[in-house]
Amino acid sequence: MVRDMTGDPFEAIVATHHAEIHRYLVRATSRPGDADDLSQETFVRAYKAYRALPPDANVRAWLFTIATNLSRNHFRAEGRRRQAMAMAAVGATEQGPSWPEGEAIANQASQKIDRLVAALPFKQRAAFTMRKVHELDYDAIGQSLECSAESARAHVFQALRKIRQGLDDLDVVHTER
Amino acid sequence: MSRIPTCREVERDLVAVAAGEAGPAAADGVDRHVAICAECRDELQRYRVLEDMVSDLRDAPIPEADPALARAELESQLADIRSRLVTFGIFGSPLGKILIARSELGISMVRYVSSEVSARARVRQLAGDDAIEDEAAIAPVYRELLDYLHARETRLDWALDLRWATSEFQKRVLTATAEVPYGAVASYGGIAKRVGAPESVRAVAQALRHNPLPIVIPCHRVIGSTGDLTGYAGTRIELKERLLSLEGVPVRGAAHRIDRRHMYVWVAPYTEYCVPTCGSIPEMPLSQLTLFGSRRHAEASGLSPCGTCRPDLHPISA
Repeated sequence: MVRDMTGDPFEAIVATHHAEIHRYLVRATSRPGDADDLSQETFVRAYKAYRALPPDANVRAWLFTIATNLSRNHFRAEGRRRQAMAMAAVGATEQGPSWPEGEAIANQASQKIDRLVAALPFKQRAAFTMRKVHELDYDAIGQSLECSAESARAHVFQALRKIRQGLDDLDVVHTER
Repeated sequence: MSRIPTCREVERDLVAVAAGEAGPAAADGVDRHVAICAECRDELQRYRVLEDMVSDLRDAPIPEADPALARAELESQLADIRSRLVTFGIFGSPLGKILIARSELGISMVRYVSSEVSARARVRQLAGDDAIEDEAAIAPVYRELLDYLHARETRLDWALDLRWATSEFQKRVLTATAEVPYGAVASYGGIAKRVGAPESVRAVAQALRHNPLPIVIPCHRVIGSTGDLTGYAGTRIELKERLLSLEGVPVRGAAHRIDRRHMYVWVAPYTEYCVPTCGSIPEMPLSQLTLFGSRRHAEASGLSPCGTCRPDLHPISA
C-alpha cells in the first residue's frame, strides 16, 4: 500500500525550529511583519531542499543560513527607507527616561538594545543576533554570512562596540567603580 | 615577562573576556593591562554589564510579533505545497528503466524510460518546481512493482492520483480499465461500452495510449476486437506480451494475437465463467466478453465455474 505523507519528517523540523527562526528574523529584519513573511519563505525553501541534506547536516545552522540570505536580500531591497526608519527609532529614544534600575524594568533595557541592534548594518546585526541571542558558533555564523569565522567574530565585536557606545550616548550603562 | 599590551591592542580581547570567549593568552594580556589602566578596567566592566543585558534578550518578549500566527500560516502554505508536490525516482526493472512519481494522494505516474533526460523533463513539464527527485521516497513503491513484475504479487493496491489524466473521459476510461482483472483481457470496444460510449472505440484507444499509469492501470489487458494486441508504449508491443504472459494469458505466434477459442470467458454481469464454446458465446462480439488465460485467475477474481459447461470438469486443453 502507498504510505501517506502526513508522517513527513519535515513536520518535526518546523516544530523544533520555527519559533526560533521567526524570533531571529524579527531582529534580523527589525520588523515583525517582515519576519512573518520571511520565516514562511525560509521554511518553504527548506522544505523543497531538505531531502538533499546529508544525514549529519546541522539543520539548525542550515535554517539560519537560509533565513540570513533571505533577510539580506530583503534588506537590500528595502534599502535606504528601512535604514532611515531605524535611525529615526533610535533618535526617538533619546527623549525617553535614562537607564532605569532593577529587574522590573529589564525589558526596557532589552528594548533599547533592540533599537540599537536595529540600527546596525546588516552583517553586524545578523552576526550579533546569531551569536548573542541564539548562541550559534562562529563557524555557523560565518557560513550564514558567507564569510570566515574570524570575520563573523569581527562583526559581533563591531556590533557590541556600537551598542555599548549607543548605550553610553543614551546614558544607560552606569557602572560601579 | 612580555610587554603589557596597549589599550588599542587589548580592545578586542576585552570584549572577548567579557563574553567568556577569550583564550588564555588573550585573557592574560587583558588582566595585565587592566591592572595598570583604570579606563580599560571600566570598559571591561561595561562590557560585562552589556553581556548581562544582552543575555536578557534571549528570553525577552518581542513586541508585535506573533510566531503562532506565522506558524499557522506556514503550515497552511506547506499543506498547499505538499498537495502540489510530486516526488519521483527512476529505477531499473525487467521491462527496462521505469520512472515512478507520486503525490500525497497517490501514485501519479509510471513511465517507461528510454532517455532519463527526457523522462525528467516530462515530469518537470507537468509539475514544474514542485517535482523533486527522491529515490528513497519512492523505493518502497518500486519494490512492490518489482514483486509484481516477478509474479510474486498479483495486485498493486496503490492509491492513485489521476491529476495528469487529460480529460474526464480519459479518467472514466482509466477507471474502467483498472477493473479488468489480473490474468484477463477485454477489448477496446468492451471498455467503450463500460464507460457508456460504445461508439467511441478509437477515443478509448487514444485515452489508453496516453495512460499516465501503465502497468498499474492495466492497459496491457485491453486488446483489439479481433484479438490482436494492437499497440503498447509506442512501438513496444513486446512489453504488452510480456506483461500478459506474466499473468498467464497466452499470446500466440508472431502475430501477437490472443485466440479466444483457448480462453475462459466471463460475460458480465454473471458471476460464472465458461469454456469458450458454451451456449451462444462463440457468436458474441469480443466487446461483451472478458477472457481469462486460466481458471485460477478467473476464480481469484471471484467467479465460479459455469454449471452448464463445467470448466472445472472440462478444462480447455492446452
